[in-house]
Amino acid sequence: MSLTRLLAVARKEVLQIIRDTRSLAIVVVMPVTLMLLFGYGVNLDLKELPVYVCDQDGSQQSQDLLKRFQSTKYFEIVRVVDNVPAIEHALDSGEAKMGIVIPWNFSQRLSQGGSVQVQAIVDATDDNTANVLMGYAQGVVQGYSTGIQVAWLQAHGLTLQPVPINVATRTWYNEDLESSAFIIPGVLALVMSVIGAFLTSLTIAREWERGSMEQLISTPVTAMEIMLGKLAPYFVLGMIDVAVCAVLAIAWFHVPFRGSYMTLAFSSALFLVTVLSLGFFISVVAKSQLAASQIALIITFLPAFLLSGFLFSIEQMPVVLQGITYLFPARYYVTLLKKIFLKGTPAAMLTADLLPLAGFTVVLALVATRSFHKRLE
Amino acid sequence: MFGRLKQMLIKELIQVVRDKRTRFILIGPPVIQMLVFGYAATFEIHNVSTVMVDMDHSQESRELISRFTSSPYFNVQAQLNDANQAHNLIDQGKTTLALEIDAGFAQKLRKGETAPLQVIVDATNSNTALIASSYVSQIALGYAQQAQQQRIYSIAPQLIDQIPSVQLEQRPWYNPDLRSRWFFVPGVIGSLTTLLVITLTSFAVVREREIGTLEQIMVTPIRPVEFIVGKTLPFFLIGLFDALLIGIVGTFWFQIPFRGHIPVLLTGLVLFLICMLGMALLISTVSATQQQAMVTAFFVIMPTITFSGFGFPIRAMPHWMQLASYAIPLRYFLVVLRGTYLKGVGFDILWPQMAAMAGIGLFGMTVAILRFHKALD
Amino acid sequence: MPEPANSVVIENLVKRFGDFVAVDHLNLAVGKGEVFGFLGPNGAGKSTTIRMLCGLIRPTSGRAQVAGFDVGRNPESVRQNIGYMSQKFSLYNDLKVIENLRLFAGLYSVPSAKLKDRIEWAIEMANLKGQENLITGTLPGGWKQRLALGCAVLHQPPILFLDEPTSGVDPISRREFWDLIQHMAEAGVTVFVTTHYMEEAEYCNRLALIFRGKMVALGTPGELKRDSMKGELLLIECDPLGTAVEALQSAPGVMDAAVFGNALHLVVQDAAAAEPRIKEFLHNHNVSISRIEKIRPTLEDVFVSLTTTRGPAQESKP
Repeated sequence: MSLTRLLAVARKEVLQIIRDTRSLAIVVVMPVTLMLLFGYGVNLDLKELPVYVCDQDGSQQSQDLLKRFQSTKYFEIVRVVDNVPAIEHALDSGEAKMGIVIPWNFSQRLSQGGSVQVQAIVDATDDNTANVLMGYAQGVVQGYSTGIQVAWLQAHGLTLQPVPINVATRTWYNEDLESSAFIIPGVLALVMSVIGAFLTSLTIAREWERGSMEQLISTPVTAMEIMLGKLAPYFVLGMIDVAVCAVLAIAWFHVPFRGSYMTLAFSSALFLVTVLSLGFFISVVAKSQLAASQIALIITFLPAFLLSGFLFSIEQMPVVLQGITYLFPARYYVTLLKKIFLKGTPAAMLTADLLPLAGFTVVLALVATRSFHKRLE
Repeated sequence: MFGRLKQMLIKELIQVVRDKRTRFILIGPPVIQMLVFGYAATFEIHNVSTVMVDMDHSQESRELISRFTSSPYFNVQAQLNDANQAHNLIDQGKTTLALEIDAGFAQKLRKGETAPLQVIVDATNSNTALIASSYVSQIALGYAQQAQQQRIYSIAPQLIDQIPSVQLEQRPWYNPDLRSRWFFVPGVIGSLTTLLVITLTSFAVVREREIGTLEQIMVTPIRPVEFIVGKTLPFFLIGLFDALLIGIVGTFWFQIPFRGHIPVLLTGLVLFLICMLGMALLISTVSATQQQAMVTAFFVIMPTITFSGFGFPIRAMPHWMQLASYAIPLRYFLVVLRGTYLKGVGFDILWPQMAAMAGIGLFGMTVAILRFHKALD
Repeated sequence: MPEPANSVVIENLVKRFGDFVAVDHLNLAVGKGEVFGFLGPNGAGKSTTIRMLCGLIRPTSGRAQVAGFDVGRNPESVRQNIGYMSQKFSLYNDLKVIENLRLFAGLYSVPSAKLKDRIEWAIEMANLKGQENLITGTLPGGWKQRLALGCAVLHQPPILFLDEPTSGVDPISRREFWDLIQHMAEAGVTVFVTTHYMEEAEYCNRLALIFRGKMVALGTPGELKRDSMKGELLLIECDPLGTAVEALQSAPGVMDAAVFGNALHLVVQDAAAAEPRIKEFLHNHNVSISRIEKIRPTLEDVFVSLTTTRGPAQESKP
């Protein structure tokens, strides 16, 4: 193995990246863009959702209940109407996400004793939003109901604890329940996939398409030197991007980082080598840049996006799909990222994810090495 | 003129079908997106792995636990005696929820004091955590109310019927079973059309430029507008075809109801297609090679789908993102899609969206055609 | 090991792609310092042969030795000792001139002591002094070829393989390029070059004519013109040319008739005997003759005669 030859190839590759604006954009602009996009855009924290109210009672009690809704940050009472069809229309048109209907005999029933129902009509097109909304609404109503009961019981000479069971919830690792904390670490997997596989998939195919490959392999440079020389710059760039993204995540988005930087670097390096090998292999096999880049996107980026646990939780997928996720290295990398960032899990306890990832790394690297021959046919 | 148009149409369709890569784009992404968004992408939760720690060993604690074991949302994997064990399991990622019932639970309940229930949630997936804790609260409070009733019954049975209480009747509209699939799959029509039309159209136009046949065609008596229509018409038809295909799969395979009117959906689809074609033409005017078109298309499609409300509510995004989303045609088309599928609304409600798409489409096409004129001269 | 007398030895070399035989039992040897030309039409098997000699394609059967190394078994050693210019221009268009040079210097492991001198030499040779920082893709064709040549010889290889090095280059640049080649040959470099330009073939020490994978002639240009021609050549200027050519192709005793510029070349057994017969024949076809004489065959004539048969099914000329 000649270092001179390897470096000659690497230097050429770097020059080509610099000279090609779009490749440069991918390396420099894309990581930041993806971070910003997902950090801000993918947000499951809802607040100030528009609510229509139909208060058919208009009593002090119903007003009290409504005040409770208004005082939470989740709801914003936008309009008060006097009939239910108006609420239905508002839901249809999207002007309201929820409608509250308080029946005409609300205060009457309460003073007589017995239960009374308040309706929450929720736009469930987006089931996630609906779930969250209904949960909050339930909380408000229960709080109100309990308050009434306590007062009533006291008036009848009974003291009862208002809340028989106190549910104390501690959310571990992500105290503010910020969705960005859960999503942002996974963005690194996306960035690595684009740089590692997408960009790399172009390198060999491009040389074939342009004709420079023939000249290259007519020189004494070996297949291994070509492969390493081509992939080295992307490895360096990839690791730099990991650092940039990590800094953005921690300093800008305030994602907690409780683990060790070494472990982060090591896991990222493993994943990077995996996608680099995959990209290289695709480039050798696909022959044309267009085909190579499409295959790379479909095999690495899409699974990293949809099936790695980055966005959609794997445990909630159908079992068959859960099984399929084991086939993608991104799954292990995203799990590692979350554990390292949010849980601070030490390396020794990460073997269940590191070992399979390392396995992929080794296998794919071998496949890539064997796939490229200095032959014209 | 129609004769020439017909010729171009036929040629274009032949090229698309013959080229293996475009054939793949026609089939691959639709299948993948349908599978993923029909099955993998879900915000629902069920069988969240849970462990219970019972240090009270009373009838009440067992009763409470049984409510969790019988709930479809939770999968109680173990009942432990030691809280530390539970903590370790969460640390190791072997369980998502740990519920602790301390000793003295039943006693407190009987005395009318507040009994504590400790919940630890692994919030690395904050969405699951949020919804799961909301369900925990609901179950716990349900049990609490029952305990409360029993208490009152044992003290003052005559009051049982007179206690006021307010209940919330939850009425989820349009999607009563809260299926994520109903939210995503209609949206896939939009995301897929975006992907297909933009990539296929921009490739087709750029390929001619790359090969040089563009000049060849311009020398013929064809007029630029004819050329553009001829180039884009096939993809308009393909977009139409694929959208209908997904619609059919969505209705018959995924059983998503279609409550609206087909003409409304079609109008929206046509307007949306025009917007996408305009975008594709614009991309092709700034790309010299198919490779460049691919990268540019990727950078356009990603934010488009993210900001459009496809998977994540626009309302939860920062203000500036919400503003930006007004320029994205997909945003409006998604409203139309979900409106016709799930809400069953018509033009009277959806006209603002139609108008917006028409406006953007007209603007985009005009700019594209002007640029095209300049580029060809 | 002692330097072999012959730089390139080819024995029964065969290359098949499926059913198609691209190179059909080739046998030849090239001596040190020779400028050896491989002449033939497109698709004859020239590029395939060169690529086998460079170790880029594996032979189906047969052997070849380059610089003493077997191309099938030792391609890497072969590559250390050769320079290669492929048919398509294949330097990196997006790199600067100097960057391409440094790249190939690195790939050939040119020792750092010699690096600066060799690169300067290449720049001078390619006439690119002062243009080192130009992007290669912006150079005109002729200069690109010379640059490619420079990149191929930075490591001063004993053998040079050039595959159609002057295709698409203007005639003046072509001439200058061949000057360079001859310069190198004088310095002892063996040059194995393929071309389909007949006039360039004259610059070679020896030629092999290739047609459909087979070697149909081998020798110096002079030998080929003298000995390989089947028959003798008559030059005829007449009018109308088209009628004359058509008529003559089926005339008795005429082995071949073709248009060369403004005149006809006629291949006959015996020129002296044929002359009066042809005159009469043309006269009977209402063709007026302004000139008719025996000429010496050019390489093109030789080639055409070796590769075409008489009759309606004529091969198109290279």
